[in-house]
Amino acid sequence: MGKYAIEIEELEYSYGRNQVLKGVNLRVPAGSIFGFLGRNGAGKTTTIKLLLGLFRPDAGTCRVKELDSQINPIVVRRTVGYMAEDQQMYGWMRIEQIVKWVASFYPNWDEDFTSRLLEMLELPSKSKVKTLSKGQNSRLALLLALGHRPEVVILDDPTLGLDPIARKDFLRHVIDLLQSNGVTVFFSSHLLYEIEPVADHVAILDKGVIIKSAKTEQLRESIRKFILTPKQRADFSSVPGILDLLTSGDNVSVTIEDCDEQKRAAIRRLSANGIQETALNLDEIFEAYVIGNRAKGKRE
Amino acid sequence: MPIYRQIIDQISYQVAAGVLKEGDKVPSVRELAAKLAVNQNTILKVYNELCRANVLRIERGDGTYVSSGKQTIAAAQRKKTVSNVLREAAVRAVHLDVSLEQAKELLETEYQAIKSARNKSE
Repeated sequence: MGKYAIEIEELEYSYGRNQVLKGVNLRVPAGSIFGFLGRNGAGKTTTIKLLLGLFRPDAGTCRVKELDSQINPIVVRRTVGYMAEDQQMYGWMRIEQIVKWVASFYPNWDEDFTSRLLEMLELPSKSKVKTLSKGQNSRLALLLALGHRPEVVILDDPTLGLDPIARKDFLRHVIDLLQSNGVTVFFSSHLLYEIEPVADHVAILDKGVIIKSAKTEQLRESIRKFILTPKQRADFSSVPGILDLLTSGDNVSVTIEDCDEQKRAAIRRLSANGIQETALNLDEIFEAYVIGNRAKGKRE
Repeated sequence: MPIYRQIIDQISYQVAAGVLKEGDKVPSVRELAAKLAVNQNTILKVYNELCRANVLRIERGDGTYVSSGKQTIAAAQRKKTVSNVLREAAVRAVHLDVSLEQAKELLETEYQAIKSARNKSE
């Protein structure tokens, strides 16, 4: 078994003249829960559709479990459990009917597992899909994605439109059903506080490229905000990896990436008298990367 | 504060206050991860760290238990751990203009509260 469950290389895709993906590179370690972050319109859903072989890329490749999505789209889709963003299901079907219907597409559908899931996810099998609540709807979509016991599960913004309690409940099932069984979970979201406790890796997609991919914890550890006086600001400009620089009143706050011990020591040396150092949460880190007032020319 | 740190603090608090007692079994990594909707690796890290601090102990193939609390960590190391946390509190106190006297009083109140909770539960 490969080290990576998903590998994306130099992936490009355009809708007409609008190039959405401009060379996406991403590797998802097998068995991880991988949070795929990006603002609305960043290209998350497009990347996922390319992964599943639903679209043909302009350039680049993507592989799921070492299978090329373009060459083997059907095998890929059989390997993967996929829950679409705001997944539409036939409202007139009863839950038991839709489960049977979806099962018919998969030669390896696990009926015992599915009936256990129905119970665990508290889904009333006689109810019609159109009568379900949003929370039940997303749990049903999850069940339909898992029934064939996939080794890789791709969830496109699975908690969209759920209330906080239903969201947590959903994530609980993801951890209990999937992580416990060594399944790789790749899920997109723009709710960062939601990803943080759950994901062991995160990647940030912005304007068609991955601008950061790291272990969640490393990302949190390595990004620091320093608060200093305007006089110290000039000394700071020589430090590499500035993501954001903000002046407010008597303070300048600088957000710096890849802060290892060495860099920290260098920063401390710059100013003997009390620079304040703080860690950021994932929301703030995302903001620093995506809309940060970064040092000129870094990405352009 | 990182999530694993928050969970460490909560468990440590419960042990310090006697809510969790020596020999109590704590949930498995899988159970606690599912309950809190937190990545299993985070919980694993929490348990490992609490074992190193001798708050918990892992019995192979059986489960994780609240430890006897006998100190295996050097006093200097224990002091350093406490001092790190107090430093954060000190920063807040300075920022929020809480005097040293008031801060000391607050620490004492918290300390006594935990001690008395512990005595009651014993």
